[in-house]
Amino acid sequence: MKRINLYVAIGASVFFSGGAWAQDDSTIKVMQAQIKVLQERIEALERERSMPPVQNLGEVELAAEREDEPEPVSEPAIKVGGALRFNLVYNEESDASVGKRGESGLDTFRLNVDGKLDQFLISAEYRFYSYMDVIHHGWVGYEFEDLSQLQLGISQVPFGLLPYASHNSWYGVPYYLGLADDYDMGIKYVRNDGPWSSHLAFYKNEELNDATNLDRFGFDLVRVDEQQNEEANTVNGRLAYTFGLQSGCETEVGGSLEAGQIYNALVDESGDRYAAAAHVDSRCGRWNFQLQGTRYEYEPVNAPGADDSVVRVGAFAGSYDIDSDADVWVANVAYNLPSPWRLIDSITCYNDYSRLNKSIDDAVDSQINTTGCAIGSGPIFTYVDYILAKNMPYFGAGSLAAGGEDDWQGRFNINIGYYW
Amino acid sequence: MGKRAFLAALLVSLASGAAADTLNVVSWDGAYVKSQILGFIRPYEEATGTRVNVIQYAGGIDEVRSQSRAWNVSWDVVDLELFDAIRACNEGLLETIDRATLPAAPDGTPAADDFINRQVTPCGVANVAGSTIVSFRRDAFAKPPSSLEDFFDLSQYPGKRALRKSPQGNLEWALIADGVAHDNVYEVLDTEAGLTRAFAKLDELKSQLVWWQTGQQAVRLLETEQVAMSAVYSGRVAAAVERGEPLEIIWDHQVWYYDVWGIVKNGRNTKLAEDFVRFASSAESLAGQAKYIPYGPMRRSSMAMLDESLRERLPTSEAHLKTAVELNATWWSENLDRIAPRFERWLERPVMVPKSMPR
Repeated sequence: MKRINLYVAIGASVFFSGGAWAQDDSTIKVMQAQIKVLQERIEALERERSMPPVQNLGEVELAAEREDEPEPVSEPAIKVGGALRFNLVYNEESDASVGKRGESGLDTFRLNVDGKLDQFLISAEYRFYSYMDVIHHGWVGYEFEDLSQLQLGISQVPFGLLPYASHNSWYGVPYYLGLADDYDMGIKYVRNDGPWSSHLAFYKNEELNDATNLDRFGFDLVRVDEQQNEEANTVNGRLAYTFGLQSGCETEVGGSLEAGQIYNALVDESGDRYAAAAHVDSRCGRWNFQLQGTRYEYEPVNAPGADDSVVRVGAFAGSYDIDSDADVWVANVAYNLPSPWRLIDSITCYNDYSRLNKSIDDAVDSQINTTGCAIGSGPIFTYVDYILAKNMPYFGAGSLAAGGEDDWQGRFNINIGYYW
Repeated sequence: MGKRAFLAALLVSLASGAAADTLNVVSWDGAYVKSQILGFIRPYEEATGTRVNVIQYAGGIDEVRSQSRAWNVSWDVVDLELFDAIRACNEGLLETIDRATLPAAPDGTPAADDFINRQVTPCGVANVAGSTIVSFRRDAFAKPPSSLEDFFDLSQYPGKRALRKSPQGNLEWALIADGVAHDNVYEVLDTEAGLTRAFAKLDELKSQLVWWQTGQQAVRLLETEQVAMSAVYSGRVAAAVERGEPLEIIWDHQVWYYDVWGIVKNGRNTKLAEDFVRFASSAESLAGQAKYIPYGPMRRSSMAMLDESLRERLPTSEAHLKTAVELNATWWSENLDRIAPRFERWLERPVMVPKSMPR
């Protein structure tokens, strides 16, 4: 349309320029030439206008390949999360529990802060229970260019199967000995090089620097009665290699060492302790197999009259004795079921078994076997377990040292939590 | 007279030039439309004197629907996604185009036999094809993968994989990797058991999968070594290789698709539009376009006109079509709404036992 207008304009200007009629042939020829030039110029401009800008021909996409670049999600540098969890327990050995057909109550309410500002990291968790409130962990860190991390503060002790030596919410024997999911105060370096994973840590002491305080999440040596030992100056090293990394069937094989001092407040002297573990953690398709063997020994310098064959550990506002020299075995299996239901996102069923082989003469070994499923549905995560335990703390008069009970006790447990 | 009559004649002549036929052709933007302008729109203007206004758009059929239903059509010819063309045709928004009226191949082969695709909609004429292929980093494997099955073989070819975050193409690949013949893919996928089988096969990769949403992201994942193999739009790989990236293409079981020309119904320029589509769909025109863009002409005779080196890079070369899967736009237009929510749910669900569950 524009083109027609231009022609008309040119024509009109020629037609109505009255003087033009008085001109001779040469003038007409000049005008003709001018018109021709103008016409060519118009066409050239129109061609130029309709030509798209030059682009990299290799970067184009067909219509079917077009997708808008997703809006970058601006995640906050510091994220605040948490959980609210409840327990429903049916304890076969408790008259009250049987009589009431189970008991329920608050498990925990927790708040989490995790973040990264430039290369600086922070991670902390605080938990509220009905009988105590505790810091679960809290550290600040630095991430290097090779993605290795240095963590300073209360961090998870790198020992054995990580992050947990079980799949269930009730954990296994290593946890009740302070050899799994334990958190202490110190400095930790974490590094991954392809299939290699390495941890090196130094913990000055347990997380509260107050071994008389039993309000804590992870089991540590605590000072109660004649047992006045506490953990000090502990070194941890853990090295693992993953076979078949990124193959859909990954098997991690690793070893862990822990060595440190045991300070006795009564005699003001230090003994030693060590623990060593070897583990295999295999994730093949939907299966997960975990094995761990651990040897530990405490050699405290006790005050006269104290029993050297045990040490006292505590957490969750309580304490008990454990064998000071023992072996621990773990054998877990889990299977991730495909969920047939729209509202159920994940179903992981498991059987976790662990055992403490004691060195105390005639002591009954402690065992715990937990069979159940963990079910995820949006923000709701639920553990449904049946726990069978023999001579375990929290199960009747069970003991991880001498004495206790020589029978299996059952407990049906549902732990349901909302996580955000 | 002379002068007055001459100038009057000149005006008439100019006016007749201004009244030359004008056609509005709607297409995409960037280098794609440039390849069309250089490949056959300019030659069409020169050959016929018809002025072609090229209008750019971003897809969809809303405007086509609006113009056609109002009988106020300014978009004469539109370059449509096949999926949109099928919908528009079903709604009666497009003219039907008889393949028999399209120019034959230079050797006389009728157009209907010369096109690579079967005609899935009577309202569209295929122009060029793109495809999704598997690309891998040469430096990621001692023995390079060579087939789609290798993409799914994590034990022989360990490493992260990347796929487009969409069920289209991925489910077809999963079934083929699980042993379904590429000709039977949609027949199997049409059954609940087949769909479950496809998801089960994708499960095998899931722990190592990374998802992309744009073609640029796919290449970036390979370039930055975040993945060892990825599904990539074929046209993207050549550019990456030119930048020095060690990428290779596995053409085995490429999934290919194409755009079509459609003529909007109820327009005033239908005859001219048909004339343009005939010209644009000729073997020479499609070959002309392919010189400016690494997408495959949809006519066999066009392919024959190209240099061998260029032909080897295109998804519609004879060698690359041997095991190729044509994305069935009709099937997806009928099933995407049903399958997409299932795919979204599947994405969120882990296959492996998680390293840590909430405690």
